[in-house]
Amino acid sequence: MALSDFIADLDSLATDAESAFAKATASDALEAARVEFLGAKGGRLKAIQKGMGQVEKGDKPAAGQKLNAVKKAIEEAFELAKSRLAETASAAGGTDDPFDPTLPGHPLRLGRLHPITQTIERMKEIMGRLGFTAVEGPEIEDDWHNFEALNIPLSHPARDPLDNFYLTSSPAAEAASPLLLRSQTSTVQIRVMEQVLANAVAGEAAPSVRIVSLGRVYRPDTADATHYPMFHQIEGLLIDRGVTMADLKSVLRMFCQSYYHTDDRGAGVAEVPADDVQIRFRPSFFPFTEPSVEVDINWQGGWMEIGGAGMVDPNVLRAVGYDPEEVTGFAFGMGVERIAMRQHNITDIRDLYTNDARFLAQF
Amino acid sequence: MILSKKWLADYVKLSMSTDELTERLTLTGLNLEGVETVGDDTVIDLEVTSNRPDCLGHIGVAREIAVLWDEKLHQPDPQPKATGPKNSVSVEITCPQLCSRYTARVIRGVKIGPSPDWLAERLRSLGIAVVNNVVDISNYVLFECGQPLHTFDLGKIAGEKIIVREAREGEEFTAIDHKTYKLSAGTCVIADAERAVALGGVMGGADTEVSETTTDLLIESADFDPLSTRTTARTHHLHSPSSYRFERGVDPEGIDWASRRCCELILELAGGELDGGPASAGRSGEATESPEIKLRFPQIPRLLGIDVPESEVRQILTDLGCRETHHCDHCVKVIAPTWRADLTREVDLLEEIARIHGYEKIPEDGQVRMAPSHRSHEDIVLERVRRVVTAAGFDEAMTLSTVEPELVDAFRPWTDAAPLLTSTPVLRRANALRQSVVPSLLGCRKTNLAMSNRVVEQFEIAKVYLPRMGQLPDERRMLALASGGEFLAVKGVVETILTELAIALPLTVRENSAPAWLASSRAVTLHLGESQLGILGELSSEALDQWDLRGPVTIAEIDLAPLLDAAEWIPRAVPFTTYPPISRDLNVVFDEAIRWADVEQIVRTEGGELVERLAFMETYRDADRLGAGKKSLVWTLTLRSAKGTLTSEKADAVRDRIVAKLAKDLGGELRA
Repeated sequence: MALSDFIADLDSLATDAESAFAKATASDALEAARVEFLGAKGGRLKAIQKGMGQVEKGDKPAAGQKLNAVKKAIEEAFELAKSRLAETASAAGGTDDPFDPTLPGHPLRLGRLHPITQTIERMKEIMGRLGFTAVEGPEIEDDWHNFEALNIPLSHPARDPLDNFYLTSSPAAEAASPLLLRSQTSTVQIRVMEQVLANAVAGEAAPSVRIVSLGRVYRPDTADATHYPMFHQIEGLLIDRGVTMADLKSVLRMFCQSYYHTDDRGAGVAEVPADDVQIRFRPSFFPFTEPSVEVDINWQGGWMEIGGAGMVDPNVLRAVGYDPEEVTGFAFGMGVERIAMRQHNITDIRDLYTNDARFLAQF
Repeated sequence: MILSKKWLADYVKLSMSTDELTERLTLTGLNLEGVETVGDDTVIDLEVTSNRPDCLGHIGVAREIAVLWDEKLHQPDPQPKATGPKNSVSVEITCPQLCSRYTARVIRGVKIGPSPDWLAERLRSLGIAVVNNVVDISNYVLFECGQPLHTFDLGKIAGEKIIVREAREGEEFTAIDHKTYKLSAGTCVIADAERAVALGGVMGGADTEVSETTTDLLIESADFDPLSTRTTARTHHLHSPSSYRFERGVDPEGIDWASRRCCELILELAGGELDGGPASAGRSGEATESPEIKLRFPQIPRLLGIDVPESEVRQILTDLGCRETHHCDHCVKVIAPTWRADLTREVDLLEEIARIHGYEKIPEDGQVRMAPSHRSHEDIVLERVRRVVTAAGFDEAMTLSTVEPELVDAFRPWTDAAPLLTSTPVLRRANALRQSVVPSLLGCRKTNLAMSNRVVEQFEIAKVYLPRMGQLPDERRMLALASGGEFLAVKGVVETILTELAIALPLTVRENSAPAWLASSRAVTLHLGESQLGILGELSSEALDQWDLRGPVTIAEIDLAPLLDAAEWIPRAVPFTTYPPISRDLNVVFDEAIRWADVEQIVRTEGGELVERLAFMETYRDADRLGAGKKSLVWTLTLRSAKGTLTSEKADAVRDRIVAKLAKDLGGELRA
């Protein structure tokens, strides 16, 4: 075989292969073309290679050189076509598998906790770290726990029937004293103090109490954007030897530092850097504490009221069986709704109890 | 309490700015509500707590300012000259429990006319309507010292006689507002020889009112009972600056002062002659002296956590008007001023020391002792319950504890007792303490549908209130669910809760025992061991119609008490075997009446301890292939032994034993 024929065959093969690779628009077509030209067994290049045996001996080095050059050219053409296809495939999302990975994932429907629950849990958790155990008690109470033991005598305006939800007496619920929906969670504090004293060993030091009581309370307010006849309170109580108003102020400050703390990523919760949290007391009046104060924290350049507090009135201590000469104590209370609303930008308290799914889904 | 700064300046030097003044007052007990400029005066609105009626007059607030800025208080000493004959009016109190003291002074020959500008201006700056000189003066004295006064036209007082008595039941009285009020027995009225002329402490009468033609006056200054005044004002919606002050208590020693002050100003501005001496009845001033209060100095750091120098303590108490009767190294004893009825105990004095010395001096970085707190079992369990139901896609709702009474009657899975009722509805018509949370959640569902909210899956954890004879009601905490899913979907949520709480007791259902509203074929009561756990069911089509809801709607209400009792929240590991499991699929045909629960029980009993897992797959019905009234139940049984590798033959033997027992007891026929 003449060298020129051999070279002509190789050239035409190279032209065919390059054209076939260039025409392939899918990876299977390209693969077929590869097998046709470069196939190890029946490929056309292989067939021509076999023909080299018939080339004149002296022409063999030239024929071998040409063969290698053409083989390299065809392989390069294939690689080029392959990467072209891969690019197209990734740009077009893959033509073989019509899967669209940009579709949304299957949504996982998770329910949300009510913002009031979230606020309460957060408060409980912080108070827990400060050593206060969360307790609950009955929502329907008697005069003793809601008033008498809390130093609210019969003549006190707070006991006016118009300011409370008394129950009508019914034969099924005949009780010794009139019952009412509790107007404050301090009732639970009375119950806990009574209980620890009942369990106390005579002759030993009076037991200490360190609790937060929380739950629903009821007052006859006309419902509007800021009032609802049912709301939630959280109240703290610490009874022990040597408890002072400085302890009260310090505990409230630690609570606020923790509750309003913002870390580097805490945007949204961000209120006041912990070190800057300050507590301000203003004198006030509550029957169950003396001295009594309103509690403010510094807030956006001013002061924000967060609740009421004071030293447990000696009459309350005596009512449950403590000796005010032996122990002292402090108590504080906060309205959960007000704090939750301010934090979550809720402008109408009634939204909390309408339970619109769109509202609840935000928290 | 609205105060004029100009007026305050009559009694105390105001060297400070308004900001400084109001800031300090706020921090010592008179909270700033607002500041306004009226003409050349500054008007300050201060909130006065109910224990401080002494600050319901300018002199009282001036006294606070004098104490805080160490200034002198200049209080007028009215000594009106009696130039007329001896006071001939008689005063009698027949209800000393409602009126402890009553004084009447008489001025004859006054000329009613407009008030001078300075007086009118002062009242106007407080927002008080200006009437005539006499009425304006009594209002002026009220806002000066806090003691309400009333002036009668003496010419209209029959018999020149004042009787303070209880009203007769149904007695009628026409007030200054020309409305007639029907009084109930026990209301304190001021009467003349013939009829009631005023509601004590609340409002005067129309026909004894001072008018342009009045010449002779009777000036009343008295002390009316707080509770009775409040009741009367509330009953008849007659709240006034006067009733407001009597409700909080007036200074018993200030009664005569106010009377003299009023007479002095009337003589000066309206003329006339004062009769000699007041006509009085009731407790005299001397009897009102308060008891001695002892303040032990060590109590100051014991309660406040700070030391206050003894000299400062004594100074504060004296400045506030206390009379010191004793002092030594250990304590000081004082008698509180008559205008401070709130000071009766050592702790009351401690509060005075704290607020005047300054709460800002109490440190806020004290070393509070550490103490271990614990989370209650209930808290931990409820958190897990919430985790499961939110993971199941339920949002937490929160609804009112009371409902309309008919809703209690319509759905009551827990009791038949009549609901507890509040004397006034808590909201709209909701006056019945609920006995199930389900109706409230259905109400929310309806609201949400009206809002076109597509997916409404809600739960609430709240109490129901079941009456109990002779004691506080049984308040039971419930988990209520309302779902748009079907029965088995919601049952699955309940089962998952039990799994998550590691409850070992079996959950069983009873058919045909669930309450109204539920579709009878898809409603059950749930039981945990021996206790009733709750109810579960799909709403009947009637109930759907009644609530305006589209089905399916499945509800559940779970009593959390048995869950709390049975929950184990500290898991304990058990060893597990490494021998391989072996599974068998069973497909057995039964009559429709056969329940899976019965099948399951046999499978577990016959399989014994080899049963590792029993997974129900499906129910298959085909009348042609299985026959009418038949169904096939398909399940996978996984067996594993702790003692060794289970052989195929052994597994088949277990399966055959089960199939035989199912055939014998339940008529089951192996299909494949």
